[in-house]
Amino acid sequence: MDTILQISVNGLLTGMLYSLVGASIVLVYKATRVVSMAHGQLLALGALSFWVFVAVMEIPPLGSFLLTMVVAGSMGFLVERVTIRPLIGQPLFTAFLVTFALFIFLDGAFQLYVRGRTLTYPPFLPEGAIPLGPLAITKSQVISFFIGFLLFLILAVIFKYTKIGLGMRATAQDHRLAQNAGVRVRKIFSFIWILSAMVASIAGIAWAIVMDIHYGLASTVIKGLIVALFGGLESLGGALLAGILLGLFETMSAGYLDPVLGGGVKDMAAYVLLLFILLVRPYGLFGMRRIERI
Amino acid sequence: MRPCGVYDRSYRKDMAIVRTWQHWAILSVTLALLSCLPIFASHYLVSFVNGVLITVIVVLGLQIVSGYCGQLSFGQPAFMAVGAYTSAVLTIHLDWSFWLALPLSGLAAGIVGLVGGAPSLRIKGFYLAMSTIAIFYVIMWLITHLGFTGGASGLSPPPPSIGDFSFDSDERMYYVIMPVALALTIFARNLVRSRVGRAFVAIRDNDLAAEVMGVDLYYYKLIAFFISCFYAGVAGSLLAHWYTQVNPEQYTLFHAIWYMGMVIIGGMGSIPGVYFGVIFVRILDELVLFVSPLVSETFPWMGMAPAAVLGLMAFGLVLMLFLLYESRGLAHRWEIFKASYRLYPFRH
Repeated sequence: MDTILQISVNGLLTGMLYSLVGASIVLVYKATRVVSMAHGQLLALGALSFWVFVAVMEIPPLGSFLLTMVVAGSMGFLVERVTIRPLIGQPLFTAFLVTFALFIFLDGAFQLYVRGRTLTYPPFLPEGAIPLGPLAITKSQVISFFIGFLLFLILAVIFKYTKIGLGMRATAQDHRLAQNAGVRVRKIFSFIWILSAMVASIAGIAWAIVMDIHYGLASTVIKGLIVALFGGLESLGGALLAGILLGLFETMSAGYLDPVLGGGVKDMAAYVLLLFILLVRPYGLFGMRRIERI
Repeated sequence: MRPCGVYDRSYRKDMAIVRTWQHWAILSVTLALLSCLPIFASHYLVSFVNGVLITVIVVLGLQIVSGYCGQLSFGQPAFMAVGAYTSAVLTIHLDWSFWLALPLSGLAAGIVGLVGGAPSLRIKGFYLAMSTIAIFYVIMWLITHLGFTGGASGLSPPPPSIGDFSFDSDERMYYVIMPVALALTIFARNLVRSRVGRAFVAIRDNDLAAEVMGVDLYYYKLIAFFISCFYAGVAGSLLAHWYTQVNPEQYTLFHAIWYMGMVIIGGMGSIPGVYFGVIFVRILDELVLFVSPLVSETFPWMGMAPAAVLGLMAFGLVLMLFLLYESRGLAHRWEIFKASYRLYPFRH
């Protein structure tokens, strides 16, 4: 009984991190209909720049966090301006491939700095475990969980109650109609990339607290894509739920199947789930079913 | 466009790939040069060409399924691995001859590819790309966790041999790889202008319209996956016996992106484009290898071996530029060049 509780709590906590990565992808997809691989690198570079501010320049955590947001925002802006904007009106698949290319390019930049090292943050969150019966939970895990949750609330508020959020929702439904109604679609595109790059960076920092900065950090984007697909590419709430479900599914299958199959199930579980989703419900839990015309 | 003064007086002539005597001359000189390449070329060049030809085989397969049939596949390295491991297991554990294992590994990869292509019956575009990534990981996981594949350290298949003659050097292996690559190129070139190839193009351009016009989507999509995975399997088998080494490290998702990049740089939907793309990217890599010592001398903070990193950046940048500014690839430039010199005194 204790193990199942421990496993599900761990799954819940990792799941929130998956949700964050998924959310950054969903944000971009919602407004621009582009599925972005580049967010893996935005995430990794965000985590890296936070490390540079905190560990190398020794700026206090809050200040470095704000600086990281500025860096992430400008990266998102640049990415949109240089690669996505020229492709407006082109096939969406080209944009997907461009973000792939961008992923590779930024990966080079990332490796150039990291060079195979493993970078660890200096401890800036409260250390130690929270005594909760038989469970072992660290304080930093709980804090990242709540930061993630807060972030989702903020995003929901932005989408629901601000003017730019209204513009984003309009753009998500139809670019041309939104433009006719006076929404400045290009501005929305810029804004959404900035926002999602910031979300990706926060996800990156949260990941790096758990598993440090190393060469494979960017590949968490694949988990993010799985989350986005699972929850439905248009749905932020879906991303939240799907991330947590994915985390639970992964830790559960690892916890129960690893002893039987001899390890490594955790890496596989997500992909099996992805195949299952794609075959059974390609538009995800809360996504829109598309109707095709010739 | 036909060259000036060339008329097709018969159906045979209309269908011919090689049309004029100049074509024949160029073709036979190229073939002659290719067949005696190891005699005059350096060891380095021969092993470079071997690498290029094996990559060409994989990318030809990818071109058929993605460039012609429009089904994006990032699973190609996994199917290569299936081919490589099949042929390694057949030659090591069962002691079969390489010449039998080569087509069988293609077939094995093709059959696995049918499973890999099955999701394309239901989903397409980005969703399909994601499902092939998932299939890639599942296959690689299975390969590393099955008992007879040697796990992470892999297997060491013997080099191919006829009687006592063993193809154990790069120069000798060239004579195994080159004919296979040539045959598969000719097959691909003919496939794409056959009934099947036209069905592929119809599916790529508009799958709903194709279905309405009577193209059996399921059948042709699966055929495309089968052929492409067959190519990948053959290439994997050749690679395994050339390196005499197979391990999971040789087949990563990064390779899948690499092959896709070659298709894009060469030009989607063009067989010569495969050659352009592969050679371009390979030469880019060699250039980076050549330049990187200079770079690390000028910028010592980059560390001793920036080649891998610079290679990534160069490849990413080139791919991005091609997608943004030359999305029809090098093959399109080549067509423009041909058209303009055939019209020579007049402007294109």
